[in-house]
Amino acid sequence: MILGFQSNSLTTVQKLETNLWRVVSRTDDDLYSAELVLDIGTPALDIKDAQFSVKRDVLGLASDFSPVFEKLVGVRVGSGMTKIVRAIVADEGGSGRAADLVLEAMEMLINALTVPQLRKATEDYGKQVFLESDGPRVFLNNVLLGEEQVRLMAGNPRMKDSCAAFRDL
Amino acid sequence: MLSYARLKTIGVQKQGENRRVVSGVLEDELYGMQCEIAVSWPDPVIETIQTRMKRFTTTRCPLAEKVFVRAEGWKFDESLDSRIKKELGREGCRHMAALIVDCCRAVARAELAADLRIAMERDPDLNRSEFVENFFGRYPGLKEYMRLR
Repeated sequence: MILGFQSNSLTTVQKLETNLWRVVSRTDDDLYSAELVLDIGTPALDIKDAQFSVKRDVLGLASDFSPVFEKLVGVRVGSGMTKIVRAIVADEGGSGRAADLVLEAMEMLINALTVPQLRKATEDYGKQVFLESDGPRVFLNNVLLGEEQVRLMAGNPRMKDSCAAFRDL
Repeated sequence: MLSYARLKTIGVQKQGENRRVVSGVLEDELYGMQCEIAVSWPDPVIETIQTRMKRFTTTRCPLAEKVFVRAEGWKFDESLDSRIKKELGREGCRHMAALIVDCCRAVARAELAADLRIAMERDPDLNRSEFVENFFGRYPGLKEYMRLR
């Protein structure tokens, strides 16, 4: 069956310098296209700069949200960010889609920061497994973190409660 | 160099007058997720969902697979996003839940885009605000669900 509609999004995380990261999030579908650029400092994980631009808006409903995004400067990536970002970007006639893009970008920075720890733990302590869902010949999950490592890593504030696997530990 | 990249790609099909099917793929350094969802139309309800967690990090992750079918029977309304995030994301996998949220939104947006395409062929100077109001008049349940701004 031929597709009637497509939606694509890409979020990239790049370390610009020692204490500065750039997250770029783009979304594109038949009706709308937008790009968000967030510069985030470490170790505080606070937003240093936020730029948002609508590239295409077929329905003509997107307003100029630039002043709203200036208010994101200083907001920290971490607990409570969802409420804060929604209050700034989405509430009072703002843009729910733009707020989603900001939150996606912030979440991807967290993911990027946890990759080195997850990679090292998997390389050092990964358990060999075979899952039926992986199919009979190709194994995408040849090693996984077992219960002991999951509990150990849940002690890391960036991992704790980050997803169901690291919750209630 | 990039430290991380997440790609989500979603496609929507119209399968007859009363059925829409959406397929989605999420790929990043840590996770690989895939889902297909059949939605009834014109009263959008999730009929069937199938998921595949392709790549993940822990032996706990695949336990989430049994949670996702809970979405069968869920209506498209203003609570759908939070229900997916809470019931499927917190108890299953937040990354699959994020993909499912985007897939469901795409189904509604696809319908609006298809109707808009037809309307613009009939009237190239179409008033798009009026068109949107008329669309929500036909699908009142979608007004609070869709985020057009």
